[in-house]
Amino acid sequence: MDLDNSGYSAHISQNFNEDLQKLKSEILEMGGLVEKQVANAVEALTEGDTALADRVRELEFEVNEFEIKLDEECTRILALRQPAASDLRMVISVSKTITDLERIGDESNKIAKLAIALVDEGGAPRGLVQTRHIGNLVRVMVQQALNAFARFDVHEAVQVVQEDKSVDLEYESAMRQLVTYMMEDPRSISRVLKVVWALRALERIGDHAMNIAEQLIYVVKGKDIRHRKLDQIKAQVLDTD
Amino acid sequence: MNIKFKQLSSEALDHGTEPKNLIRGIDISNLRSSQDLSLEDESVSMVVKDLSLYYSNKQALKGISLKIPKKRVTAFIGPSGCGKSTLLRCFNRMNDLVDNCRVEGEILRDGVNVNSKSIDVTQLRRKVGMVFQKPNPFPKTIYENVAYGLRIQGMKKRRVIDEKVEWALKGAALWDEVKDRLHESALGLSGGQQQRLVIARTIAVEPEVLLLDEPASALDPISTLKIEELINRLKDRFTIVIVTHNMQQAARVSDYTAFMYLGELIEFGNTNTIFTNPSKKQTEDYITGRYG
Amino acid sequence: MVHYSTTVTETRTSKFVSWVKDGSPWIWFNAGAVAISSVMVIGLLTFIGYKALTHFWPKTIYEYEIKSIEDGTVRVIAGEVWDTERFDRKYLMEAGVTIPADIEEAQRTLIKVGNRELTGLDFTWKYDFEVVGVSNPAELARLERREWGNFYGYPIAIKEEGKLVSPRESLWQEVLGRIERANALHKDIRAIEEKKIGAINYKLERLRLREKRLRLDNELTQSAMAELANQRVVLEQSYEVLQTELLSLRNDVRRDVLVVRTAGGHESTISFEYIISAVQPNSMSIWEKVKTYMVSISDFIVAEPREANTEGGVFPAIFGTVLMVIIMSIIVTPFGVIAAIYLREYASQGWFTRTIRIGVNNLAGVPSIVYGVFGLGFFVYFLGGNIDDLFYPEAAPAPVFGTPGLLWASVTLALLTVPVVIVATEEGLSRIPRSVKEGSLALGATKFETLYRVIIPMASPAMMTGLILAVARAAGEVAPLMLVGVVKLAPSLPLDANMPFLHLERKFMHLGFHIYDVGFQSPNVEAARPLVYATAFLLVLVIGALNLAAVNIRNRLREKYKSLET
Repeated sequence: MDLDNSGYSAHISQNFNEDLQKLKSEILEMGGLVEKQVANAVEALTEGDTALADRVRELEFEVNEFEIKLDEECTRILALRQPAASDLRMVISVSKTITDLERIGDESNKIAKLAIALVDEGGAPRGLVQTRHIGNLVRVMVQQALNAFARFDVHEAVQVVQEDKSVDLEYESAMRQLVTYMMEDPRSISRVLKVVWALRALERIGDHAMNIAEQLIYVVKGKDIRHRKLDQIKAQVLDTD
Repeated sequence: MNIKFKQLSSEALDHGTEPKNLIRGIDISNLRSSQDLSLEDESVSMVVKDLSLYYSNKQALKGISLKIPKKRVTAFIGPSGCGKSTLLRCFNRMNDLVDNCRVEGEILRDGVNVNSKSIDVTQLRRKVGMVFQKPNPFPKTIYENVAYGLRIQGMKKRRVIDEKVEWALKGAALWDEVKDRLHESALGLSGGQQQRLVIARTIAVEPEVLLLDEPASALDPISTLKIEELINRLKDRFTIVIVTHNMQQAARVSDYTAFMYLGELIEFGNTNTIFTNPSKKQTEDYITGRYG
Repeated sequence: MVHYSTTVTETRTSKFVSWVKDGSPWIWFNAGAVAISSVMVIGLLTFIGYKALTHFWPKTIYEYEIKSIEDGTVRVIAGEVWDTERFDRKYLMEAGVTIPADIEEAQRTLIKVGNRELTGLDFTWKYDFEVVGVSNPAELARLERREWGNFYGYPIAIKEEGKLVSPRESLWQEVLGRIERANALHKDIRAIEEKKIGAINYKLERLRLREKRLRLDNELTQSAMAELANQRVVLEQSYEVLQTELLSLRNDVRRDVLVVRTAGGHESTISFEYIISAVQPNSMSIWEKVKTYMVSISDFIVAEPREANTEGGVFPAIFGTVLMVIIMSIIVTPFGVIAAIYLREYASQGWFTRTIRIGVNNLAGVPSIVYGVFGLGFFVYFLGGNIDDLFYPEAAPAPVFGTPGLLWASVTLALLTVPVVIVATEEGLSRIPRSVKEGSLALGATKFETLYRVIIPMASPAMMTGLILAVARAAGEVAPLMLVGVVKLAPSLPLDANMPFLHLERKFMHLGFHIYDVGFQSPNVEAARPLVYATAFLLVLVIGALNLAAVNIRNRLREKYKSLET
């Protein structure tokens, strides 16, 4: 039974409706914060903007607060409402999604720290182009995943999963270039490594975004598509519509 | 362990695939739980074919067809008046007691239609026992309650009856609580104990199928849990069909769940599937509390 | 100020209104009704009980010297005071009583003087202005006799076979001793007369009937006749033996004669054969009086009636009442219970069963005399007559079952009370939870097994309730019984030592009818009045005891099968 977007007004219990509604809006709010963190972190890194990096780190506290609050909320709903079927999937997925979002926040934070460190050391010698590119890809993925969540849009979620593959490819090629560069200029290894770590963090953010998309597919379709191949996912999720 | 592992993997290699429930020789059937139960794999206890039931002119069941799997717990859920109890009572023909009740269609048990006139109803009811919503012990002693069905069957030997009573009470997890007061009135027991006594009374005649009609709806939560645990224990031995309006209970105790609505069978399948990802909107609405 | 006063009025009204609204008047009404009912019941029982129980207390015997107003003659009478009345002068003058000029109001006293064979009447009235002397001499005795009622007078001597005997201790002790002896002999005589000779007569009657039967069936062969004659001879021989024994006992009991003098000075003799007991209440201590009182009460309960039921006890009536109620219970319970079970459990509920239920309920409202008429017409004449024709042709023309008797009385009352049992049982059956019934059926029991193993035991308290109501109604019923088997004096109890022990065809006595008979059909109304109270009180006690027994059984059953309703 597919979930549609109108699901949270039809319960007999009005409180339950409100709980689920609130859960959804709050996770989107948290997603908004995290999305901003990612965008800011990428920009701070590529532009060498330490002020922006500081703002990313400030947001981190808010995100953590959200995580704790939403976790509690999920536990409370599970204990009091014993949700079933789509409601159960929703609560479970939210519970997992907040972890992913928090991780994304952590990674952004990491990137922000690296940005500050790089500015101190005189800026990144190389790799900023790739960083900007991958950073944009990842930011869009996070945005899409959250959009999919907001609209229960499976197609968009599948796109996110698809994007992740290209992020991985981009990441690998950027890696190769940076490794080559480090071999050419051993004095810059320390700074280039920071760029590598930032790239690594971006790649992780992509993975988390993909996780969120997968959770969404589980919410809507009730199918667990983790660790499946893309064409399998497409076959399972899209063809049954 | 090592040797076993090797044997198993070579066996697996011989067949080219891993045997079912084995991953690298480790039995994961416990891990999988009932998630992987599938109706197609079950042996069948009873088959309902296009069953319709009418009270006077009102149709209470509308062309129900399903198979009750053997030695599994099947739960019927649905809103009040959906016909789940009525369907349950078809299995041992308790509906015969209702005036103006007409049944069409078949219920096959061992290939024999339960609804046919030639069936001996008392024999059928011995094979298909039933436990009701409210504990209904007879106003006799605990012992006599359990021995009731045996005596009805004409069992006379004191020793045999003693053994059966003890066996049934143990089976119903009541023996330890009542063994010192077998000859006291059953009405002195608590509600939960009474209900387990009724279950003991029913299993004493060793039926094949146990029909439970909301067996815990009149009990407190702890007694309910005891009954549920008992159902879990009994399913190795009996085919159990339970009607409940407590969805969590159905989810906890059953292997398969049938959702009924307005006399129709809407969805029937693996309990895990029904409760995590039902395929029909009515089912979804009902189990998520959107019904109404 | 105006405002203030309005408020006060409002408060007052609302107080009264709220008093009405909260239901206080109802509570008072209900409590009042209960109180009035209780007072009536308790008052009734106290009144009857008082009248009944004081009757047996040994009364003081007074000796009065009475001087006639008209001619101035003086006579002496002795007796017990039974009643007093007051009249004014005018009333007495109109009644034609001569009355002294100076008296405005006179009291009249009813005195039981006994000595019926001398005075012709047991009772006499005297006006207090006639009395010139009252005393209560210690020697004055009351003799209770088997015939002729009580005797009041002074024992003066004892004669044994016509000769005066000198008492060993006091005369009174001697009298008591000889009464005891005579009573013992009398008991023996009764035993022979009733038990032994009665049994022989019964057997002779059976022989006669058998002979007649054989003749009717044309099977009266020589050998059979010889056999019968043989048996008859044996019986007659033993009868002769008993007869001689009886004769000697009778002579023995007639040996002693008591010489007594009445208060008026008349001397007469009374054979000890007739004396049941003798008391001198004027010289008795309280303790002796209590003892006498107890003996009188127990005599009333265990003795047989004498003198057209105006004296003696009521044992046959108690026995008849209880036996009839028991037989009625034995008939009505299975009948009513089976009918109720069929109506409730087997019959399909529809207009037909509804009609039957209405019929049954209305049957309970039919006047009981109607049942009596029906019982007489249907049971006694039709059923009984046919039974006689079929099974007792030898007894003709005397009826066996074709005449009112214990069986027909019981059956008639069973018919009268069966609606009560049906209604109560149905009520009980309808209260049994459906789930219990289904529980039994679900175990593979048939409907019948369910009925007799579960449902009937569970409904048994309700059946007992029905039976209690039936017993209460039947035990107090008189009118129909007069038509179908109760008589004022039954020659023998319906239960005795002769085969087949229980004689359902016999007529019997009944407390309710006894009350009616003693109270309204008695030749000696004044003497009988206390007995009416005593019998009524006893009837209440008997019904109470029967009910208590049944209630006790019901409560025990209830405890055992206490309802499953949570």
